[in-house]
Amino acid sequence: MKLGQAMKMAFKSISGSKVRSFLTMLGIIIGVASVMAIVSVMMGMTKQSLSYYEKMGTNRLEVYAYLYNGNSVFDDLYDYCLHLDQYVLGATPAGNMGATVIYEDKNSDSMEYSPSLYFGSDQYSVVNNFQIEKGRDLSKIDVDNYSNVCVMGARAAQNFFDFTDPVGKEVRVNGLPFTVIGVYKEKDAENSGWSMDNMILFPYTAARNLGQNLDMSQVYVKCRDANSVKQAKAMIEGFLTGICGDPNDWQNQKGYFYTYSDNQWQEVQNEQATMMSLVLGGIAGISLLVGGIGIMNIMLVTVTERTREIGIRRAIGAQRKSIVAQFLIEAGTICGIGGIFGVALGTILTLIGGKLLLGGMILWPSMGITLGAVLFSVLLGVIFGMYPAIKASGLQPVVALRAD
Amino acid sequence: MLIDIQDVYKIYGEGTEAEVRALDGVSLTIDRGEFVAVVGQSGSGKSTLMNILGCLDVPTRGTYLIDGQDVDELDDAQLSHIRNKQVGFIFQSYNLIQNLTAYENVELPLIYQNVSVFRRKEMVLEAMERVGVADRWKHHPSEMSGGQQQRVAIARAIAAKPPIIMADEPTGALDSHTGKEVLHFLQELNKEGSTIILITHDNSIAATARRVVRISDGKIIEDKEQEVDWL
Repeated sequence: MKLGQAMKMAFKSISGSKVRSFLTMLGIIIGVASVMAIVSVMMGMTKQSLSYYEKMGTNRLEVYAYLYNGNSVFDDLYDYCLHLDQYVLGATPAGNMGATVIYEDKNSDSMEYSPSLYFGSDQYSVVNNFQIEKGRDLSKIDVDNYSNVCVMGARAAQNFFDFTDPVGKEVRVNGLPFTVIGVYKEKDAENSGWSMDNMILFPYTAARNLGQNLDMSQVYVKCRDANSVKQAKAMIEGFLTGICGDPNDWQNQKGYFYTYSDNQWQEVQNEQATMMSLVLGGIAGISLLVGGIGIMNIMLVTVTERTREIGIRRAIGAQRKSIVAQFLIEAGTICGIGGIFGVALGTILTLIGGKLLLGGMILWPSMGITLGAVLFSVLLGVIFGMYPAIKASGLQPVVALRAD
Repeated sequence: MLIDIQDVYKIYGEGTEAEVRALDGVSLTIDRGEFVAVVGQSGSGKSTLMNILGCLDVPTRGTYLIDGQDVDELDDAQLSHIRNKQVGFIFQSYNLIQNLTAYENVELPLIYQNVSVFRRKEMVLEAMERVGVADRWKHHPSEMSGGQQQRVAIARAIAAKPPIIMADEPTGALDSHTGKEVLHFLQELNKEGSTIILITHDNSIAATARRVVRISDGKIIEDKEQEVDWL
């Protein structure tokens, strides 16, 4: 018998026994759809909480390090971070200073909201999520040359210059002239008074010229992503142990350091997410199993009926391989159609789940889960759909005919 | 010689206390064009004999030559081929596939023969018209009377025009009038040249056959020619 005939025979058999076909499909539809929806919603939840932490923690590593002899470790740390560019985007001293900034009749001391004065490296904006809007950012040359320049946050620029262009203007800081070279884009519009934009940034080298005894012990290191934070943290700790000695050794006379990242909170969050995915994965697995048992039941219940059918087909001249081919195609088709409907229903459930449970998030089911669930239930359906064919076609036709 | 079995045994549970000899050393030859009734009580082994003759079952011992070929040496494809092309079966319980319509049931042996769609339609309709159920082609078995189902089963048996028809109590589930029609039909097929093997427990039914083989406890106890009761 040709393949085309086997297919026609299978389709005839499917349309001839609609209830059985439907019940089999139902098992697959429910199994696939529930697994897809549960796992996808769960993955959406994990992703949502992670992205929340990415915004908050911004993959920033805080390093606090000093030597007892008073020398700064920043320059060495900065150079070391340049080597870590696989993980690290930038490093800057994190500290502010006290000074009086004057432009014409504007005096920072007499303002309602005085600007915060920060000193940093050329990577300050990268680390603290600022973007240049007018003029230019601090450069390495500014830092190396102790240039008397500064960059203003949007709010500070407005306070000093109203709506005129500050770039190129000269302000006096503790009496020394500093040129405004750029203005940062507003990033904290919600807060008007103590806004993050009410700031002025100076190169840390030039800030030293102001006669300030700057505290360079605190450094922010910006990493590429959550994983980089871990890598960079370990490497920087190793590097600092070389310079400052072991911070846990109480006999250590050289210095001290510690590192900290918000990502440590993220790890707790991740652990909870993993825990949740285990629990929900278990539930999903059980629902797939229940669907699978449903498929098995339907298939096995019809074995007797089908054994007789196979006996009849054998009696009128069907070869074993024709029977097996027909049943394979039949089971494959039923389960395939069930799989398609299951994926469709699962996608709808996932979208609804995203809308209801994840605050309107547009959630799409993951390919891997979908494929896995479909493969599992289709395989189960095909195996148990084939079971009567493999069993009965091996019997003498008369034995199969006697089944009732 | 179309059918030739020599010293055939069919033994269930051989060597145990519950051993049953369904066939106990049967030898029988049947020529082309014969109409043979195999008569026996229930449990006499007559159905077992038919199953073996129709290649639905294999003997425990003994040789079976069909058309000169030793059945024991044939593989599944060749046996299927014999059941498909050489033999048409008619069963007491019709053995129609419930999910298929009358037409599809009759079509089945032709599909397994790879007959083309158009030729198939001709042959199916011819067979169904011959037994008078062509108007029922769309119906499923459950929507037909016993007589109609048996006619569909006969149509299926003759659709491929096999040289041998084997009928196991074909009238067993039918009223006497319908039963007579079926037997008459078998006689007609025989006149046209088909070899008919009719299994029955009923002597009056056996009277429609030219040759009667009587079987009891798995042994042939009588094999005679007789006057035919033409219907």
